[in-house]
Amino acid sequence: MRNGFYFRLALSNVRRNKLTYVPYLVATAVMSGVFLLIAGLLFSKGMTNTPSGDTARMLFAFGLVVYALFTFFFMFYINNFLIKRRKKEFGLYGILGLDKRHVGRVLVWENLFVIGGGIAAGIAIALVFGRLLFLVLMKLIHAVPGSSFSIPPVAYGLMLGLFFFVFLVTSTINVIRVHTANPIALLASEKRGEKDKKGLVPLALLGLALLCGAYYYAWTTEIPGIALGIFFPLAIVVIIATYLLFLCGSIVVLRLLRMRKSLYYRPDHFVTISGMFHRMRQNARGLATICILSTMLVVTVSGTLSLYLGREEMTRGMYPFDAQVYVPKSASQEQIVAYDEALRRIAAEHHVVLSADENKLVTKLPEGEQFRRNNFIWEDSAFVDVPMLIFYDGSFRFDVAGSEDDCLAFIQAVRDRYAESFAETPNLIVSDIYTAREEGYGFYGGLLFLGAFFAVLFLAVAVLILYFKQVTEGYEDKARFDILQQVGMDDHQVRKTINAQVLWVFFLPLAATALHMLFASKIMARMLKTFMLYDWGLVLACIGGTLVAFSALYFLIYRVTARTYYRIVRR
Amino acid sequence: MSLLQVKALGKIYNTKLGMRQCVALKNVSFEVIEGEFVAIMGASGSGKTTLLNILASLDKPTTGDVLLDGKSFSSIPDRELSEFRRKHLGFVFQDFNLLDTFSLKDNILLPLVLMQTPLSEMEARLLPVTRRLGITQLLNKYPYEVSGGEKQRAAIARAVITDPRILLADEPTGALDSKASAGLLGQFADLHGIGKTILMVTHSAMAASYASRVLFISDGALFSQLYRGDETNRTFFDRIVANLSILGGGDIA
Repeated sequence: MRNGFYFRLALSNVRRNKLTYVPYLVATAVMSGVFLLIAGLLFSKGMTNTPSGDTARMLFAFGLVVYALFTFFFMFYINNFLIKRRKKEFGLYGILGLDKRHVGRVLVWENLFVIGGGIAAGIAIALVFGRLLFLVLMKLIHAVPGSSFSIPPVAYGLMLGLFFFVFLVTSTINVIRVHTANPIALLASEKRGEKDKKGLVPLALLGLALLCGAYYYAWTTEIPGIALGIFFPLAIVVIIATYLLFLCGSIVVLRLLRMRKSLYYRPDHFVTISGMFHRMRQNARGLATICILSTMLVVTVSGTLSLYLGREEMTRGMYPFDAQVYVPKSASQEQIVAYDEALRRIAAEHHVVLSADENKLVTKLPEGEQFRRNNFIWEDSAFVDVPMLIFYDGSFRFDVAGSEDDCLAFIQAVRDRYAESFAETPNLIVSDIYTAREEGYGFYGGLLFLGAFFAVLFLAVAVLILYFKQVTEGYEDKARFDILQQVGMDDHQVRKTINAQVLWVFFLPLAATALHMLFASKIMARMLKTFMLYDWGLVLACIGGTLVAFSALYFLIYRVTARTYYRIVRR
Repeated sequence: MSLLQVKALGKIYNTKLGMRQCVALKNVSFEVIEGEFVAIMGASGSGKTTLLNILASLDKPTTGDVLLDGKSFSSIPDRELSEFRRKHLGFVFQDFNLLDTFSLKDNILLPLVLMQTPLSEMEARLLPVTRRLGITQLLNKYPYEVSGGEKQRAAIARAVITDPRILLADEPTGALDSKASAGLLGQFADLHGIGKTILMVTHSAMAASYASRVLFISDGALFSQLYRGDETNRTFFDRIVANLSILGGGDIA
């Protein structure tokens, strides 16, 4: 009976707060759905059977772990964000005589409804889109879909485990939050003052210095290896600087503007500047988070896209010659000649032509090598008139010309025949660009796919923050809107200044993202050089394209959430 | 001569879907002479807030008209209404309606800034007003840092800084304790003393006893009125209370 009461109260709370809970539920659905999809793809039979499956699986396993960490962090963050907004309601319950214990119980029920509902919707999403995404992935990693796609039970298990953990942690935090606060403080928390804080200037300057420093290193680091090493430390510094600048820098700038009286005491500036003070104090953290999520999204998508599109160039970079046969150091001159002869014979059988261009070697053949090659052609080989394959630094290097199928068959035949005929030297290793290409599809295709999944995650969280921000501001602006009208500001003017503020708040994270990306582009291009991707134009195009696409999407989201905002203000 | 003329005001609200009509005001007419301090009394739901909103040009009457200095409200186009309000009317509200995003100084200057007053003139006007109201020391504080009475004084300063023709007050003591109320009403009496015209809506007999004339409205219609004449606050208060008991409503405090 009593349990029924908490259940009903929780249910009606969820219904009453649907403006907050529906987006939360949708976000939970997206996160759980995507997690289920990644896990499902990782453990699906279809993936095991594909040639590049192993590489892609390894990548997905890693991606799943990172995704789980992000999901946990974001759910934790959003829950805290929402529960803070409801302090007043909890205070009221306390005053109406509901025990903290009971409020806690209601909150656990609410949490269960929302996370449970979200998971159910997430499973639905995964079931609907799973098959489609599986086909897209198979195409990206260049594999023929083997068996049909179904999400294996182990994927469900992992997803339920993760979200059960999230549920436990968030519920515990909510209960603790209710227990540690007293009703009066809870009721009063809404009227928190906005006193000008001191000590913002040094923090703002620190933020600026950190940002400039990080930008400087990002722009000037030339050596790819170092770029790879310092990228993540720099990213952390930029994140800290972004928070400092949004939280403190914005207030300092506004203060400077306010001190210039001739500028401040003008109708439009007056209301806009003071309104921006309020907004930045309330939302700076949310805006900084949106900026960071957007930057992460653009970096992830443009990075994985560059790798996917540039995979041929990278593969070629790692394999200047189509194929290479590593010969153990112990091999004698006679053996080397025998390997060479075998290569030619197999090539003739498979109708492919072997050739080798000395200019492709990174370093030119030294005099000694040249001699050795000539020596071993003319004195020890029977094929005197035939140009030798390049034998340099312990391996044969050559290009293969012929149809794709013939080339693949040739490589396979070389592997088989060598294992058979030269069993006494098992260390003859054949490496070739064809196999590498297949692996490249698996790796870079899988990476792009994961990048897209992460983009969905970042976007879901950013949208949620943007939406809550609009709703909160809507209610606050409603009151300000009314007062300004009573004091004699006309409707048109009020709307104009509010529009100006909303646009400022909207463009600030996007502008900061673009700036971050401008400086990140150079270090990203350097970093991709360690993967043998030297096409700086391609990287720039990917970053630019992603940024433009993201801006368009962000604008669309803004339009939709702004509609909620204006509906509240004009009511 | 009469500053404000209220002519046969009527206001009818349509409830949702137009099923029922709610009559808020019926044929209300009166005049306010320059320099008068008029209080309008009535129980809650009697239509006094509707009346004040119409006088403030925030709402439009269904029938009748309001004239300020002989200028009819209905003749002012909507676009110019807020400018008219800004120039000629001053407001004091029950819940102060100060903006938390501004310091008291900026709250008080708000109407002047909206009128694009030069900076030097704004500062010249600020000091005498705040000095009279005793809030000069608080100018750099924010609304949530000061007491209710201080907030209300800042709201008065904001209302009078434009030197309006008439000061409209809606339950100005409603959110104040008795001591702060007495202080505030004293300020109103002072403003009245220097020739300001004040129209105040209240349900408190104590507040009304500071006025020079009290209008009683009941069920949307003008019921009766009392003139103070030469009486003291005390005896006027007694007469107001006696009149209220006939009316069967109101609040003595």
